[in-house]
Amino acid sequence: MNSEDDLFYNDDDSAHEMDDDDDDFVEMGIEPEPTSTNEKTDVEVFLYEVLTTEQIVQHMVDCIKEVNTVVQIPATTTRILLNHFKWDKEKLMDCYYDGDQEKLFLEAHVISPFKKTPNAKKRTTRATSAAVAASVQQEVTCEICYLALPATLMTGLECGHKFCIQCWTEYLTTKIMDEGMGQVGTISCAAHNCDILVDDATVMKLVKDPKVKLKYQHLITNSFVECNRLLRWCPMPDCGHVVKVQFFDSKPVSCNCGHIFCFACGENWHDPVRCMWLKRWIKKCDDDSETSNWIAANTKECPKCHSTIEKDGGCNHMVCKKCRFDFCWVCLGPWEPHGSSWYNCNRYDEDEAKKARDSQEKSRSALQRYLFYCNRYMNHMQSLKFESKLYASIRLKMEEMQQHNMSWIEVQFLKKAVDVLCQCRQTLMYTYVFAFYLRKNNQSIIFEENQKDLENSTEHLSEYLERDITSDMLVDIKQKVQDKYRYCESRRKVLLDHVHEGYERELWDYLDSA
Amino acid sequence: MANIATARIKREFKEVVKSEEVAKCNIKLELKNDSFTELRGEIAGPPDTPYEGGNFILDIQIPATYPFNPPVVKFVTKIWHPNISSVTGAVCLDILKDQWWVTSVFDYICLSFQALLAAPEPDDPQDAVVANQYKESKDEFKNTARHWTYAYAGRPTASAEYDSKVEQLKNMGFDEHKARVALSTKHWIVEQAMEHILS
Repeated sequence: MNSEDDLFYNDDDSAHEMDDDDDDFVEMGIEPEPTSTNEKTDVEVFLYEVLTTEQIVQHMVDCIKEVNTVVQIPATTTRILLNHFKWDKEKLMDCYYDGDQEKLFLEAHVISPFKKTPNAKKRTTRATSAAVAASVQQEVTCEICYLALPATLMTGLECGHKFCIQCWTEYLTTKIMDEGMGQVGTISCAAHNCDILVDDATVMKLVKDPKVKLKYQHLITNSFVECNRLLRWCPMPDCGHVVKVQFFDSKPVSCNCGHIFCFACGENWHDPVRCMWLKRWIKKCDDDSETSNWIAANTKECPKCHSTIEKDGGCNHMVCKKCRFDFCWVCLGPWEPHGSSWYNCNRYDEDEAKKARDSQEKSRSALQRYLFYCNRYMNHMQSLKFESKLYASIRLKMEEMQQHNMSWIEVQFLKKAVDVLCQCRQTLMYTYVFAFYLRKNNQSIIFEENQKDLENSTEHLSEYLERDITSDMLVDIKQKVQDKYRYCESRRKVLLDHVHEGYERELWDYLDSA
Repeated sequence: MANIATARIKREFKEVVKSEEVAKCNIKLELKNDSFTELRGEIAGPPDTPYEGGNFILDIQIPATYPFNPPVVKFVTKIWHPNISSVTGAVCLDILKDQWWVTSVFDYICLSFQALLAAPEPDDPQDAVVANQYKESKDEFKNTARHWTYAYAGRPTASAEYDSKVEQLKNMGFDEHKARVALSTKHWIVEQAMEHILS
């Protein structure tokens, strides 16, 4: 069983040829081209590596091998154990040597490889090799298809439940193709209430269809990446790369496909706001809690039966359609006194009505506050999308300049300017998320000043690149553009440094209610 | 793999016919056509439940990938139960979803259904109206379910009160089933049930 040829990942010979050079780390930076000399804002020492799917498989095999140099059990069992411990090798070792091994195997849903009865083992091997089949002609009924078949056609796991090979294959295929191996990423024995897991070697032996095998490899690889803290799939659609880091942190990583994302949360790189707040923000924007906010801000409830009412006319004498209660839209008190000669809406400031108005007021201002930040966030996001058009027009400009005796290297400043513009837009976008959850204090005022400066300088750069550039002399452009983007860069650095310093010195207070 | 499905159903059939539990608990199973893709099951309402005395017909659709995928089962007989839709007869049962085992057999399914009739799970409802009633007023639920068993599943005795209320609405020109649903939903208050039908 522990022969490596049984393992599914060895089916693919190319996996062996992959270079598994662990020292091949890339120093990261969010700039695609860090040409500027003193730009070190985001370039901190955060080592990471981008792996292809093949390399990931190799990495998984290496993890298993590493454990197997110490623990002498079949590699395929090791994988199940490692998966059980979310690929934390140390934890597995600790439990394996310090704890109750029987309990460990039980919890991981495998039969202890030391407990095998020699009899059962022999039968398993015999069932698979057709050579000895002739001698055994005893017929057994398969519990799945109910056909009586020779014992040689039956197979199963160490738990002892035997089914015919055809049914096993069909069972595994259904589990892999239809159910994607469910939430847990494992397949258990087909017998009723048996939770012993099917190992990779068995799957690879029984499944013949290459498509199914491939899907199984994908599922295994996926569960390996998903439950490993130091690995993350590139979130770009159809990008099969995985980023591997040395320690878990919220840092930007750049995939081979060019996508830059936060390693900790997988979102676009979102400095200065932290993952936790961004997550809350995205959730807030996504779910329809804003619908209920709108209802809260634009409608009132009948004071008696609490039906939601939207006013569609001028008259403040409201009659609830549902419970027929007469009330005043302004003070939410009963209408009756309003009709008499001593009509004075203010006088009926009963506590109840006042409370209703207060809460209405509150949700209305909360909605306005949210819309304020959301608008600005969305606006920068939209602009960021439009900048891709700018790249095209700037490229034309660069070609034009090259025809006027400027070298290729000399015109690169223009591309750099658009790069900076995009970075600033992205940073600005996330400053609004940060600001939304920020409680006002002295530091937050400084932050808002920095935000204002960055926004101003970014808009200047944007306007120049999009419009004024056409009217200027080619010779003047370079100086102007460089001045502008360098200023933007410096404003961006100032803002980010200030926020980071605030994180370090715990200067930021948050609004939990937002 | 339709041949596995056919072979297995044929065998299961024999087992069911022979099975002792079948005789005891009044489970019946028959083929609806020769292609083994549709079965008709019949289970007796378990004793000491509002379903006692009734016979419930099940429609069982066998997928071509059976037994690797579970059969689709629904109630043909109308029934008042938190986990069974009073409109469509659709059932929410884990053994027909993620808890399906390839070795599960029909008598096991039928027995599970009987168990479900005996022990509803209102926290995981299929029919929210019934589940609500079950949680808020157990007695009303029991009476309603008993009445439905009488009306649709052949229970011999009836509650005179409920029956006369249905009759009352029926005489006013409302469809009998609609009247029953409305009354069951509206706590057997005739006026509210009428409003419910008309709204």
